[in-house]
Amino acid sequence: MSVARRWSISKLLIWIFLFVGAVLCVFPFIWMLIGTTLNPNDVIAGVLVPGKEFPLNWNKAVKNYNLPQYFLNSLKIAVITVFFGVIVNSLAAFGFEKYRSKARERLFSFFMLSLMLPQIAIVIPLFKEMSALKLLNTHAAIILPSIMSPFIIFFMRQNFQMFPTEIMEAARIDGASELYIFFRIAFPSMKASFVSAGIYMFLSQWNSYLWPLMTILSEDKKTLPIAISSMMRAYTIEYGAVMVIVCISILPALVLYLTMQREFVAGLLGSVKG
Amino acid sequence: MVTPATILYMIFTFYPILKSLTMVTQKWQGLRSTYIGLGNFTRMMQDKVFWQALGNNFLFMAIQIPIMIMLALILAVMLNQGIKRGRGVLRTIFFLPCVTSLIAYSVLFRMLFQTNGLLNNILINLNIINAPIGWLNDPFWAKATIIIALTWRWTGYNMVFFLVGLQNINSEIYEAAEVDGANKIQQFFKVTLPLLRPVILFSVVTSISGTMQLIDEPNVLTWEGGPANATMTAALYIYRQAFVLNSDFGYATALSYVIVLISGLFALIQMKTLGRRDE
Repeated sequence: MSVARRWSISKLLIWIFLFVGAVLCVFPFIWMLIGTTLNPNDVIAGVLVPGKEFPLNWNKAVKNYNLPQYFLNSLKIAVITVFFGVIVNSLAAFGFEKYRSKARERLFSFFMLSLMLPQIAIVIPLFKEMSALKLLNTHAAIILPSIMSPFIIFFMRQNFQMFPTEIMEAARIDGASELYIFFRIAFPSMKASFVSAGIYMFLSQWNSYLWPLMTILSEDKKTLPIAISSMMRAYTIEYGAVMVIVCISILPALVLYLTMQREFVAGLLGSVKG
Repeated sequence: MVTPATILYMIFTFYPILKSLTMVTQKWQGLRSTYIGLGNFTRMMQDKVFWQALGNNFLFMAIQIPIMIMLALILAVMLNQGIKRGRGVLRTIFFLPCVTSLIAYSVLFRMLFQTNGLLNNILINLNIINAPIGWLNDPFWAKATIIIALTWRWTGYNMVFFLVGLQNINSEIYEAAEVDGANKIQQFFKVTLPLLRPVILFSVVTSISGTMQLIDEPNVLTWEGGPANATMTAALYIYRQAFVLNSDFGYATALSYVIVLISGLFALIQMKTLGRRDE
């Protein structure tokens, strides 16, 4: 009996621990949702009963805080980065994995070396370069440097190891060009890997803060993260409206995570697969 | 096929690195620059705030990473072996904080941790504290706030790594341990922990590199590294040297070399430990 009781007490402790952990993880999200319906004072005071101010907060977010503009800026930048990024990086990864040579192997290690480079060390000279190229305060300044990603090249190369080389030889005998093999055979048969890479690139661009903060000056070109941080700088802060904007800024990632959990996590875990 | 990536790499990564080699020897004032040799490095030696900031990075590492890794390990083991139902749902929930952008959760936590805010209200109502804590105004509590926030954001992330690691452990090992009379706690220390060592090391190294580059949270959550530089980090200080305070890009470059050096050292350790994994 004592064994049975000890077993159930440890079970109970485990469940209490997990329950508390789960509540702590979810609570800020619930508080955020409630906050979108409250007036600014109630947000800070931590009223936990939904209010009636959601339409008002939404209006303030849209009209006073220019939410649609920031949202569209972020979306445009992220989508363009993903489109070119997935093509450029997976092409390179395919080249490194399937057309091996000593020179390419060396170039690959050279790329991987920059994975260890802290962002802050790159962005300062990069800022001067962008200034010389007259690209400061443009979305191109955000998009161009983030298309090539050593991590995505690494991730896709790992994945292409599973793509059988025999298929490529068979396709070549049938007269297929190398680009045809990549776009028409490799791409459709490895969709999940491409989706993972795309999600990863989308999120890192959607969430990126430091570099846009450095390069973007005008209000109408700001992305969501830098717009949100400058809202917090104001003398009076419409906390309810800020809650709406934070909520919207989390939404794409949340939807991607809940609908494509496997691909979402695969991208983040990619680095340990090897 | 590797050409487009190589061209982009040359323009936006390699060229800036080369350019930084000349920038580091210059003093910038607005758009003018003058050659000062190693002047930036001698100036750095006397820059108390920079060393304080770097000290903060190490403090966050030393305290936050062990707490987070331990919590992530406990959660992973509990999900893997402690329960039979609800595993999928709980995994989804614990990973949820990782979908928030660093700025979104920093803003959220900034509101939550106000002195007259929700967290203090809850703690007072539960009789845990008598008077509100100045989470964002007191140097000690501001550091604690950053540590709590980082732990909230990243524990689930590391937990997922550990879960994958745990699933790769053959269950026969546990059966053998049970036959030998090892209880659950002994099994954890003698079987689970040694077999997870490579994954744990990987997590630690990734976390160290992340903490070394910490910038979003101290800039937004505790506001510009405040109070009184209590949460200033090296990366944030460098950013402020170049963009907020003096626009001295030469000095900022010199400071960033220190971070490169430290990250390089950690990377070396990483290669050594990951190399051991392959053996």
